Amino acid sequence: MIGVAYETFLLGRRAFLRWARVPGNWISTLFFPLIQLVLFSQLFKDIIQLPGFKESSYLAYLAPGQIVFAVFLGVSWVGINLLMDYHNGYLDKLRVTPINRISILFGEMVPLFVTCAMMAAVILVTSLALGASLVTGIPGALGILALSGLFGIAWAGTSFVPALITKNEQAAGSLSLLFFPLAFMSTAFVPVERMPGWLQVVNNWNPISYVIEAQRALMSTGFDAGLIGKALLAMAILFIVTQAATIWAFRRLTA
Amino acid sequence: MVTETQQRLDETHAAAAPVIEVRELVKVYKGGTRAVDGVSFTVAEGEFFGFLGPNGAGKTTTIRILATLLRPTSGSAKVSGIDVLAHPGEVRREVGFAMQTVAVDPLATGRENLELIGRLRRVPASELQGRIDELLVLMKLTESQKKVVGTYSGGMKRRLDLATALLHRPKVLFLDEPTEGLDPQSRNALWEELESVNRSGTTMFLTTHYMEEADRLCKRIAIVDEGKIVVEGTPAELKRTVGNDVVELQLEADSPNELERQRSGIGRMLEGFEPVAEIKSSPAGVQLYVSDAAAAIPELVRRLDGDGIRIGALTMHQPSLDDVFMRYTGKTIREEQANVHFTGWY
Ligand SMILES: Nc1ncnc2c1ncn2[C@@H]1O[C@H](COP(=O)(O)OP(=O)(O)O)[C@@H](O)[C@H]1O
Ligand SMILES: [Mg+2]
Repeated sequence: MIGVAYETFLLGRRAFLRWARVPGNWISTLFFPLIQLVLFSQLFKDIIQLPGFKESSYLAYLAPGQIVFAVFLGVSWVGINLLMDYHNGYLDKLRVTPINRISILFGEMVPLFVTCAMMAAVILVTSLALGASLVTGIPGALGILALSGLFGIAWAGTSFVPALITKNEQAAGSLSLLFFPLAFMSTAFVPVERMPGWLQVVNNWNPISYVIEAQRALMSTGFDAGLIGKALLAMAILFIVTQAATIWAFRRLTA
Repeated sequence: MVTETQQRLDETHAAAAPVIEVRELVKVYKGGTRAVDGVSFTVAEGEFFGFLGPNGAGKTTTIRILATLLRPTSGSAKVSGIDVLAHPGEVRREVGFAMQTVAVDPLATGRENLELIGRLRRVPASELQGRIDELLVLMKLTESQKKVVGTYSGGMKRRLDLATALLHRPKVLFLDEPTEGLDPQSRNALWEELESVNRSGTTMFLTTHYMEEADRLCKRIAIVDEGKIVVEGTPAELKRTVGNDVVELQLEADSPNELERQRSGIGRMLEGFEPVAEIKSSPAGVQLYVSDAAAAIPELVRRLDGDGIRIGALTMHQPSLDDVFMRYTGKTIREEQANVHFTGWY
């Protein structure tokens, strides 16, 4: 146990530095959410008057969705890193050391908490600068970042599984596109009341929406134990499913 | 082609304290390729042992099984007395492995690469930095240790990779084609480094398809081809099995048939010519194993005059490992040279 934690820390630090040292990682991830935040909050300013919106401005409504969107984008491709290590032999190099193999996977997963929280922070600060409010203050902000980090880890499986199964960077990249509609079908842009019936049903099963709703409450209304609980439950379920599949695919790859 | 006594030229060499023991190893890949086909050998403590063979001979497959990265189909292997299948984790503690494809983290610095592997291998913190400094000196990387590895040359990456395999002072070092793709200078430098690692007591198991490399580094060699060990011994012993000087005749022929006709012609014409011990066909002609070739050549050439034998070139040398390989397999190690030049413009 202690061994795995130490190895995960060492490998996680490597993964974090690998990410932080390439500015393109930041830029490409934050570009869309920032554009959407700035542009949509202006373009669709008046949408806030429609029934279903409870927030003071569309910016206030949009901000939590874009935080989650950034995390979503941030982990869309992460599986490819492990695949690159697989192809260039670094994974084998790690496999020749007497470490617990699962540390290799955890070393990729755990730092996502940090990177996702950091990207969430950028969007959060930007929205505050643009005029969004944060009624729960610093504790709420930390809650938002923590939820973002957890969501990042849970969602990362959608990238790891196709990457590890196909062993092909291109295929893994295009398969992660399949998950994009889920982000747009969530409550990131419009509340569930404004959705057509079938989409409302889909939305009930969309874990992304639960995370967004909890964060939105933290920004605009206050600590809502119910919504936070639902978000944690949705993520727990998502986490179990994606991690089980990821561990299975990882074991298969490194058997 | 190979007699029993030649098969095991030197069973005595490996008799003391085997560090690597391989018995009847077989690996059949999915799809049916029999990459390793019943290989057995032992390597003694402190020995520098090499697998010499052409691409596809099964060298990488064998070394990956020994380094616990691959499960054999059957057979057994022990490293440092530990079964690689039963206790792979313990084997990993004892060995270092520099793979055929260099595996370093291009986005980290040289020193960071070493620190990570050193810590994962639990090199005590009190020793790690000193050990890294030592290896950086050995591998001549001290100057570039703070540079990101992506900017290193091929030779520097190889040396860094080797350093990461040495951090924990392994008992056994596995080297899969350690100088592939290096320029001659880097190759020579790396050879010296490998020799100094071996001198410090590390048992070395190296694979290569460069005969000069095997000749220079290895105290003992197994020549492998198509998943099997063809012959095994010290380079000197192996060359002695070829015995005589090697005279290579390249023949000018316009077709494979014509080449074959000349070959059998030569066989006939040299029948009963005492100094020629053996005649073998080589890709572009024939190889003659001749005792005291310098004295025999004038008469030899006279005998080959006529009957449409067209000699494009005649070369003569002391036996090399390439000749040994040729003698036992009928092929040259470098297959890319094996089926060329029937027209012989030499
Ligand atoms: N992963 C694999 N799957 C199927 N066949 C393989 C695999 N790796 C190697 N081979 C085949 O096994 C044989 C031996 O390969 P290898 O051990 O790499 O030889 P060498 O290292 O001597 O060049 C070759 O015919 C090669 O094509
Ligand atoms: Mg090979």
